[in-house]
Amino acid sequence: MSKEELYSRLSEAVVCGKTDVAKNGAQEALSLGFNAVETINEGLVKGMSIVGDRYAAHEVDLPQVLMSAQAMYSGLNILLPAIPKSEALDRKKCAVAVVEGDVHDIGKNIVKTMMTAGGYHVFDLGKDVPISTIVDAAEHEGLDAVAMSTLMTPTMDGMRDAIDGLVESGYRSKVIVTIGGPPTSPSFAEEIGADHRDENAQNCVTWLKEAL
Amino acid sequence: MPEAMTHMERGMAALSNEPVDRLLVSPLSMGVQRRLIGDGVTYRDWAHDPKMFARSFVEGYKAYDPDMAVGLMDLSVMAGDLGAHVRMDLENTPFVDEHIIHDPEDYEKLEVPDIRKGRSAVLLEGTKGFAEALKNDIICAGFIEGPLLALSQSAGAERLFMDMYTNPSAVHNALEVMTDYDAQMVEGFGKTGVAGLVWDYLWGNYSCLGDAEYNEFEVKYAKKLNKLTLDNGMAVCVHNCADMPHLKTQVKDYKTSIYSMAWYPLNPDSPSATKVIEDGYADNCIMAGNIDPQLFIRGSVEKITKVTSDLTKEVKAALCKRGLNSTFCISSGCEVPPDLTTKLENIGAVVDTVKKEGKLA
Repeated sequence: MSKEELYSRLSEAVVCGKTDVAKNGAQEALSLGFNAVETINEGLVKGMSIVGDRYAAHEVDLPQVLMSAQAMYSGLNILLPAIPKSEALDRKKCAVAVVEGDVHDIGKNIVKTMMTAGGYHVFDLGKDVPISTIVDAAEHEGLDAVAMSTLMTPTMDGMRDAIDGLVESGYRSKVIVTIGGPPTSPSFAEEIGADHRDENAQNCVTWLKEAL
Repeated sequence: MPEAMTHMERGMAALSNEPVDRLLVSPLSMGVQRRLIGDGVTYRDWAHDPKMFARSFVEGYKAYDPDMAVGLMDLSVMAGDLGAHVRMDLENTPFVDEHIIHDPEDYEKLEVPDIRKGRSAVLLEGTKGFAEALKNDIICAGFIEGPLLALSQSAGAERLFMDMYTNPSAVHNALEVMTDYDAQMVEGFGKTGVAGLVWDYLWGNYSCLGDAEYNEFEVKYAKKLNKLTLDNGMAVCVHNCADMPHLKTQVKDYKTSIYSMAWYPLNPDSPSATKVIEDGYADNCIMAGNIDPQLFIRGSVEKITKVTSDLTKEVKAALCKRGLNSTFCISSGCEVPPDLTTKLENIGAVVDTVKKEGKLA
C-alpha cells in the first residue's frame, strides 16, 4: 500500500469515526516504516481537520465529532510513542483544564481534540482542576498555552485565580491563556487578564496558531 | 383592558396575545433567592429543605414583584435520585460528579426511583409550598429535566452521545425509564397547584444534535410527556439556554405556551429577540429571554437597567411590526447566577425597568 493510500484511509477512518480502522492503519504505517509524524499529520490530523471544519460549519453534529475524536486518539495512541524525542520537542505545548469546582468537560475535550489535531502536544489536566495544578504544569512542562473552561458561573472566578497564580509564579509572560465556556465573554477574558476567549474549538486553535 | 392589570390578568392576557398594560417580566431567579430567607442559608440547605425552597420564592415575589415564579432547583435532582453522586458544595449549584453509566449494560439497570423520597420529593413538596402561597398572585411553574437531559446527567454527555451511535437500543431503553420517571414527576407536579411545568430540553441544540438525532432521541419521548403535562392540568413550558435551539420543534411542534431562551450575540446563528418574533415563534407562544445572566453579577444597576430598557424597546418594536400584542416576557436567558456575589438589586432593576417602560403603544 502506498503512503497516499494509507494516509487517505486513516483520514477517512477519522472522518467516519471508525476506531478499528484508524488503529489498524496506524499499526500498518509503522510496520511499513512510515514516519510517525507524517502519518499523524497527513492521515489522522487531516481527517480531524475536515471534521472540525464541518462542525464549525454546522454540517456535522457533536456525536460525530466525538466518534471522530475517538478514532483519532486510537491511532495517536499507537503513533505518538513512535515519534523520536528530538521531533517531539519541536511541538508547542498546551494544557487544557476545567477549573476547580466544575466537572463539565465536554467542551474542554473538544478543544483538546482540535489542539491535538492542530499539532500541539496537549496536556489534559482534567476537570475540577486546582489552581496549583495549572500553575505547576505551566512551570514544570514549560507550557506555551493554557486553555481553561467552565460551564458554570460560580466557578468562573477560578480562571481569574489561575491567571493570578501564573502571575505570582512569574510564568504569566511566558504562556498564552485562552478561556471558553458559555458564561464567559471577551470582556470577562479582558477583565481577568486572559489573552483570548473563543466561541468554538476550531477557531480557538486557528487563533492560537497565530498567537504562537 | 384595565389601566393597571394584576400579574394574573397580564399573564392570562399574554397567553392569548391579548393587549396588556405592559410586557411581562420575570428574571429566572431561583437559587439566589435563598439569600432572602435569612443569613447562613446555604445552597445545600436550600436544595434539601422544601420549606426553605418554597419560602425563597415567596420572599422573591415580595422583594421583586415579578410576573412568574419558576421552581428550578438544579439539574442533578433526577440523576442523584437514580444513584449518581451529586457534589454538594455549600454555595455552588449541585452537580453530578460521578455518573452511574459506565458501560452499555448499565443503561439496562436503570430503575425509576421512589419519588416520595430523595430530592425528587423535596422538589415536589417545595414547589407545592410556593404554589400554594403564590398561585393566586402570579403564574407559578414547576421545573423538570427532560429525559435526554436527565440521562446525560446520569451517563455523561460525551458517553451518551457516542452510545447513541454505537448502542442506540440501550440508550432508548434508558430513555424509556427516564420517561417513566418524568411521567411520575409530572403527576406529582400536577398535584402541586402550579399552572405550568417548565421542561428543560437542553439538548435540542444545533451545536450538539441535528434534527435526526434530536428527533430520534428526544422528540417522541417529549411529545408523550408534553401531552401528559396538559392532561395533568399544566401548560407546557420549555427552557432551553442553548445557543442554537431547535425552535421549530420546541416551540411550534411541541405547542409550547411559554418558551424561555438565551441569546449569544457572539454567535451569528444564535437568534435574538427580534429574530424569534420576526420568524413567528411568538405568534402562539410567549417567548421569554434574553438578558445575559452574567450581568446580574458583573453589571451595575445602571448597566442592567440600560440593557433591560434596550431589550424592552427592541421587543416592543418587533411585536408591533409582527402585529402582536403581548407575547414576550423580559427575562434572563438562563438562571440568575446563584452566586453570593450576584447583585440582588439587579433583579429588582430589571423588573422596575419593564414596569416603567414596558407599556405597548
